[in-house]
Amino acid sequence: MSPPEDAPPIVVERLTKVFPGKRKRPDKTAVDDISFNVEKGEIFGLLGPNGAGKTTTIRMLTTMLIPTSGVAWVLGKDVTKEEVAIRKRINLVSGGERGLYYRLTGRQNLRFFSELYGIDPKTRDRRIEELLQLVDLTESADQRVEDYSRGMKQRIHIARSLVNDPEVLFLDEPTLGLDPEIAREIRALIRRMAGMGTTILLTTHYMFEAEELCDRIGIISEGRLVALGNSLELKDSVNNATVIHVETREDPYEAIETLEGMDGVIHVNSDRVPGRFIVRIQVDHGSDLLTEVNEAMRGLRVLRIGYDEPTLEDTYISLVSGHER
Amino acid sequence: MNVRASYAAFRQQMTHFLTDPQWIIPSLIAPFMFTMVVLMIYQDVDGPVVLQAVLGGGVLGMWGNTLYSSGWSISYDRYNGTLEPLMTSPTRLMDVVAGRSVWNTLIGLSNAVLVFVIAEIMFRTGVGLANPAEFFFILIMTLASLASIGLVFSAFFVLTRASSVLMSSLEFPIYVVSGAMFPITILPDWVIPVSYILAPSWGVDAMKIAALDGYEGIGLGIAGSLAVMLLLTAIYIIMARWLFKKIERNVRSYGTITRF
Repeated sequence: MSPPEDAPPIVVERLTKVFPGKRKRPDKTAVDDISFNVEKGEIFGLLGPNGAGKTTTIRMLTTMLIPTSGVAWVLGKDVTKEEVAIRKRINLVSGGERGLYYRLTGRQNLRFFSELYGIDPKTRDRRIEELLQLVDLTESADQRVEDYSRGMKQRIHIARSLVNDPEVLFLDEPTLGLDPEIAREIRALIRRMAGMGTTILLTTHYMFEAEELCDRIGIISEGRLVALGNSLELKDSVNNATVIHVETREDPYEAIETLEGMDGVIHVNSDRVPGRFIVRIQVDHGSDLLTEVNEAMRGLRVLRIGYDEPTLEDTYISLVSGHER
Repeated sequence: MNVRASYAAFRQQMTHFLTDPQWIIPSLIAPFMFTMVVLMIYQDVDGPVVLQAVLGGGVLGMWGNTLYSSGWSISYDRYNGTLEPLMTSPTRLMDVVAGRSVWNTLIGLSNAVLVFVIAEIMFRTGVGLANPAEFFFILIMTLASLASIGLVFSAFFVLTRASSVLMSSLEFPIYVVSGAMFPITILPDWVIPVSYILAPSWGVDAMKIAALDGYEGIGLGIAGSLAVMLLLTAIYIIMARWLFKKIERNVRSYGTITRF
């Protein structure tokens, strides 16, 4: 079986990965019967909590893992049987600091990985200069990677992933652990790559990142794809939920405990920001709980209370917690 | 085989070696210690026994280096997170490991030379070689056979980090069964077949024939021992290719590649 000639660069059909249990432990289904496509030039995001199956999906699509069942084609090639043909035309960036040879310079790392892709020396040297420019590391190209800052390491990671001019790029939490300024630079870089026609599949924990970057988002929970669409479609998909937004001066932890046990409450999320606490309570659309919420906040200085539109994060929490129930 | 990728891996290993002081331990300090111990044991003895001791010290250093560097070759990538980009590149992992093994082999050669220099300068052993040209040719071939064993070991390191147990448990028995320190012929009968399936045993035998006047060893002569060694080396390479293929498939099925 093969996909049609004009099939999108990534086609996933009923993909499943089960890791056999060891020492009498049960088998673990990491990815459970998921299907989706990624169109050419699209930035597609996979969102999900830790252990949801995002990285396992990426590993299957980058040929590092063989699916237990189902099929996936990347650039028209089967990820199980045609791994070498796929590897020539894709690349992968994993988040975090690992994945580079620290004793080599940035340029030596790029050169080494270029050779693994069999790029001819003239093209290799030209491309390395272009990539160093793209990630703004020309001046530090001859420093050892061990002397790079975290942001520089992540930028050289991205440069490394572009040595073979990939048609499809997989980014597994590319801004993990980066400070906001560097994360913003990386996001700008990702947009630039998509602008150059690269198809990008990325995983992230950051909702704003997914909302800012992705044309479409798949939400994955416990190995299953629970929602798929652009951020507006996803928000619409949970329009049966309403959000009550509360801001207090004091820590509302007791009120949160009360609210979490209340009928009609889907999820309660709280954040501390300078000078106040923000509580977002997702409630069933039909439940008018404003009075009850006000009651629960009794004794606290409430700065603001009212209904709000669900954000992508609210949608995500609603979908994931709904699925986990 | 992807020669360009292997050459890139050779250069990468060389750069790591030259910038990472820890490699001095298996490459310089360990053979130095071997030689010192062996020469101290034999310092009051003259003639062929000293040469055998020096040769033994050299082979032990080369073997320790091969074992350590072949194991570390993959373990370093696993630890460093570079095994993922290596695995997702179109180059076969064995080609990368092969390039690194060539560098390790060259370092092994430097071990051997170092042992002879130490013997001559510090212990004034006056070691002479009956057939120096033949001896060095066999030495290089023996190093290549050691590198091919290194390839087989590396495949296991792709499978699991626990392969270091295999590596450690193989270090000392091989000193004995390869005939590096003692002639194989004085070993118990049941050990001898094990020696015969190890390519370096035949290389050591050929080197001893080339170095020592009147040494007969296993009895096949230089050409015979060399031929057996090359045959075994070819078998190791075929075995390594098969193992890499099987093990890569296995780690793709079970997802053990990124555990470190």
